[in-house]
Amino acid sequence: MRAQPELSDRPFALSSGAGERAEIVSVSPEAIRRGVRRGQSVAEARSLCAALDVQVVSPALEQAARGALLDAALSCSPRAELEPRRAGPYAGEAAVSADASGVASLFHGEAGFATALAQRAAAVGLPTRVAVASSRGVARVAARRLEADGETCLLAAGAESAFLASLPVDVLDPDDALAERLTRFGIHTLRDLLRLPLDSLAARLGPAALSLAAQARGECDLPPPAAPAETRFVESIDLEYPAERLEPLLFALQGLLSRLLARLEVRHLACDELTLALDFAGGGRDVRRIGVSAPTRELRVLVRLAAQSLESQPPRAAVCGAGLETRGAPLRRDQLDLFRPPGPAPGALAPALAELASLCGASRVGAPALADHHHPDALAIRPFAPATCDATPATDAGAFRLALRRLRPPALAEVQLRSGHPSRIRSAVCSGRVLRCAGPWRTTGGWWSREGRFAFDHFDAQIEDGTVARLRYDHVARTWQVDGVYD
Amino acid sequence: MSPTPDARVDALLRDLGSRLRRGSHEAARQTSGGRRHPTGLADVDALLGGGFPAGRLCEIAGSLSSGRTSLALALLAQATRAGEWTAFVDVADAFDPSSAHAAGVALPHVLWVRPQDSRQAARACARLLELRGFALIALDLPPPRQLALPPAAWQRLARAAAASGTSLIVLSEQRLTGTSSSLVLETRCARAQWSGMPALLEGLEIEAQVARMREGPARRIAAVRLCAASRAA
Repeated sequence: MRAQPELSDRPFALSSGAGERAEIVSVSPEAIRRGVRRGQSVAEARSLCAALDVQVVSPALEQAARGALLDAALSCSPRAELEPRRAGPYAGEAAVSADASGVASLFHGEAGFATALAQRAAAVGLPTRVAVASSRGVARVAARRLEADGETCLLAAGAESAFLASLPVDVLDPDDALAERLTRFGIHTLRDLLRLPLDSLAARLGPAALSLAAQARGECDLPPPAAPAETRFVESIDLEYPAERLEPLLFALQGLLSRLLARLEVRHLACDELTLALDFAGGGRDVRRIGVSAPTRELRVLVRLAAQSLESQPPRAAVCGAGLETRGAPLRRDQLDLFRPPGPAPGALAPALAELASLCGASRVGAPALADHHHPDALAIRPFAPATCDATPATDAGAFRLALRRLRPPALAEVQLRSGHPSRIRSAVCSGRVLRCAGPWRTTGGWWSREGRFAFDHFDAQIEDGTVARLRYDHVARTWQVDGVYD
Repeated sequence: MSPTPDARVDALLRDLGSRLRRGSHEAARQTSGGRRHPTGLADVDALLGGGFPAGRLCEIAGSLSSGRTSLALALLAQATRAGEWTAFVDVADAFDPSSAHAAGVALPHVLWVRPQDSRQAARACARLLELRGFALIALDLPPPRQLALPPAAWQRLARAAAASGTSLIVLSEQRLTGTSSSLVLETRCARAQWSGMPALLEGLEIEAQVARMREGPARRIAAVRLCAASRAA
């Protein structure tokens, strides 16, 4: 439903596999109204509803939905956990437990907490039913009893037993063997179960029955939910057909990014760095990192960055699955200084930087820095964050300095020598007789590496066409180059 | 008897003539808010009436080794030392951090954007102007044969600069902005200075001439000679 919200008003079901004999594991409300139920075969379901749209369960989408549910819970409470997957009638259920202690004051009581949780789950594309109770087990049972999505339920402390008494034993989801034995003994409701003496219950039905009785009394042996150890947001999808061109792949990625950003927004986070994983039809995987210059929630910026990455490094085969992962980061909120000139609005700078990075390339936007390297072409760019830096430069700007315009890449040149100095030059930048020349100054480094070694002889030269240039002889490539012009 | 139309026009001109003058300094201060960005070079700042006007499209045009890049870095140095935010949109990919640092530019206060073509450069400039908060944006362009910006683009950028209060300084080999710019400064190299034995390059003597000034004194001011100090050791 998150990936295809247009199906929410149509009869739709998920099956455990392909084929008519596969079992229905999850059903939309519209399909329920037409008589389709969990556990039926696909053929039986289609006989009840001819317009039923059946799709095979996608583990990737299910995992992402469970993650989104957890995010919605964590947006309301710092401690939340996903409930383990269940078998049987609750196989298609996704449940999360959130600790509501101490947070009720933020939401004007537990009712407000439940409503907020339902709303935030809806914001990430998940219709939910929320129940608040004194224990995890009772809350889960109460939520299962709600009839419609978006409903909430509050159970006051001490009212658990009365609530549970009239419910069938199946609501506690006992294993099949125990359920059959209870049925044979005529135990149908939890009230019936609690009437049995505990000693004989354990002796006749085993320790599982004791645990069931404890749950029936509203007790819970599960610890309260804990805060998650790490924050990860993962969205993935299995494509219906392998994508051989970029356009359908980008369309799928746009959907993934949209859902990812919805989850980030509900947690008040932004996307700072993406990991894109592509699964290929013939096997194999391509994992690549997409850098974002500043945390952003702008969908078009992230789509453009992903498109740039795919265009610069196209997938080597048809793609059958894609996944996006990010850890999330707070949106940068730079506080301006009262005693310095004002800059851009703090909340507007980060999206603008991300947009510029998507336009020009992530490595081509930032603050320049002095490269800690001897190679004359070394380049260093740092994140642009002037609000955190002191404006005073290291050098005194009293003198008017002559600047060098770099040539990237350096322009090749043909040079004639006289007495070891350039006497005539021909290049795309400057040509003619060399009027004056100074040098050479030798720069070397990286001698320990065959690939990284370099050795240059630099000259300052005044050319008859009026250009004052910096020439260099590359001893490794054995070529003359113009690597800069004094301007 | 009511005055004739000619008499009314004469009276109007008599009343306004003392306050209206083509390109008066007072008018310039009113339209640009009086704010100027100095280069730190007294002769150049005097030539420009205090510096480059805020919120205007300006241009520094000159061939290679004419000193336009050094002027631009001096401008950035003054602005960044005052704590202003600046940007360098480097289409030519010629910005040298070492030279900028030696010129006194506070590098953390410079946003270096390296677009790969003129379309990206125009969009980057427009986005930065829309963002506001930058005192100066320098747009360094490659030789004209590699550039494809229509005249309408300069008009849009000039309007955006006026709306944001940011000075957009275009660096080019030939004049490109046409009538869209408020100020055009042309530079040329007078001579290169060599000294010592063996001779080392000490610097360049450059000349800067105001080729166009929309808001300024009616008379063109003569060229000014500058001597550039040598590069830092």
